[in-house]
Amino acid sequence: MSAAPSALEAPRGTRTAPFADVVAEHLDAVYRYLVYLTGDRAAAEDLAAETFEKAFRSWRRFDPRRGAPRTWLCRIARSAAVDWFRAEARRQRREQTYALETAEIGESVFAEGLSPRLELALRTLTPAEREVVALRVLLELDGPSAARVLGISSTACSTRLSRALKRLEEAMADVGD
Amino acid sequence: MSATDWNELDGHEALVSELRANPPVAPDRLRQRVLELAPASRRRAALPRSRRGRALAVVLVAVAIAVGAALVHGFVSSGGSHHGAAAEKSFGTRHALSGANGTTLTPTVPSSDNSALQAAAPAKPKAVYGTQVLAPHEAVVIPKNRLVHADASLQVHVGSHSALTKATNDATQIVSSLGGYAQSVQYQSERNGGGSSFLALRVPVRKAQTAIGRLAQLGTLVAQQVSTQDLQQQLTRQTNGIGTLRRTIAVYEQALKSGTLSPAQRIEIQIKLANAQHGLKLLRKARSGTVASGATADISLTLTTSKSSIVGGGNHSSGRFDRLLDGAAGFLALEGIIVLYALVVLSPLLVLGGLAWAFLRERRRRDERRLLASA
Repeated sequence: MSAAPSALEAPRGTRTAPFADVVAEHLDAVYRYLVYLTGDRAAAEDLAAETFEKAFRSWRRFDPRRGAPRTWLCRIARSAAVDWFRAEARRQRREQTYALETAEIGESVFAEGLSPRLELALRTLTPAEREVVALRVLLELDGPSAARVLGISSTACSTRLSRALKRLEEAMADVGD
Repeated sequence: MSATDWNELDGHEALVSELRANPPVAPDRLRQRVLELAPASRRRAALPRSRRGRALAVVLVAVAIAVGAALVHGFVSSGGSHHGAAAEKSFGTRHALSGANGTTLTPTVPSSDNSALQAAAPAKPKAVYGTQVLAPHEAVVIPKNRLVHADASLQVHVGSHSALTKATNDATQIVSSLGGYAQSVQYQSERNGGGSSFLALRVPVRKAQTAIGRLAQLGTLVAQQVSTQDLQQQLTRQTNGIGTLRRTIAVYEQALKSGTLSPAQRIEIQIKLANAQHGLKLLRKARSGTVASGATADISLTLTTSKSSIVGGGNHSSGRFDRLLDGAAGFLALEGIIVLYALVVLSPLLVLGGLAWAFLRERRRRDERRLLASA
């Protein structure tokens, strides 16, 4: 924690919290979102660091009137994650492997305390389904904010969440069987 | 989270509770890593926050540059190096000069006042040839070794009704003292104290310059036009014609006295002699008219209390300021035309660019959806 306080001051003319406070408040949320989106903790760590680096570079341009810091950070994180997915897709085509498939069945990816059924069920979801679950359930973003992060309408976001939860329940039932 | 949001999660309470009870937690090494990133990338230029703010800043800077360039252009174009040209333009000085024989000079020197025109042409007034600016009452050097006809038109502003009366009387006295006369005088006065008078004056040509100078000093010279027409060649031609006719008439008269002519020839010679004598009479009359025309100068003098016809008013400094504003406004208009033209030319490209951008964005989003749905 050796950050210089002057470098972490709030955007000019705003009452937004300093960047250090933003990191302290939203790092976990961004990390959770990225873990669910990528299904890869190591990648989520790297992407979270990249997200906050980008956020810091454009922190002075951040306008709190246009959205909450968490929404803004999640959009940056999503953009970084999409780039990561593209790179992974290229790598997969090249090596005929995929990062998520390399994870051991018994290894916990999404969280330590999750039941194995839920852990496995989460793995069956697509990243698009997992990210809406992360945004709405874990990060507790409201519908419009989550829709803004995903670049879709609120209705589409709501529909996607319902389908994701339903599929998750079904997958858990399948795993239980 | 609102009630509506909770409705979306209805039926999945157990699942949601388990997910929320076991969230992934960012490791400490990540937290430290993120906080260490900040000082490394701290040196960023202080830019306006939003795109709207940046766009506004760019527009303001562009407008400031445009106005600044226009002011610089106006300042340069109204500067001292253009003084003579500007004065020539403002005061409407013109010169027309044809050949040495039958020379016609038509200088027009409207001016706000004598001092302003003197400032425009500080050097001693000289001949009107070339582009030299003229002084008011010495606009034309009327040649004294040749026969010329001079016409002058003066417009002089006087301050009040009483000054108008006095100036009218003085004008008559001036031309009388110089050997001339007032051919006609029209005097008009108005109820509001204003008025004007129009005088058709004639003075000997040799005194014309003096008369013009003194008449111009009756008030503030508003406009002046002096033209001269060379009559010397016409006089020479008429004189030569008279000599020829005289010699012809003498020959005819001698032939008639000789008594060697037949009756028919005699009648023919008599007719020719009569025609020659008539021609001589007409030519003498014309020559007299030419001499008379070259003896006097016609001066039209307008005395008025109205300032409306004053040309190029104001002092020199305000004139330059006006020219600066005119130049800046003209330059701004030119810039506006260029911007408008550029917009007209570029607008189809901008529309195409916008469509391409929207198409690419939509395709990128579709790719993202496909990627996240299939990964």
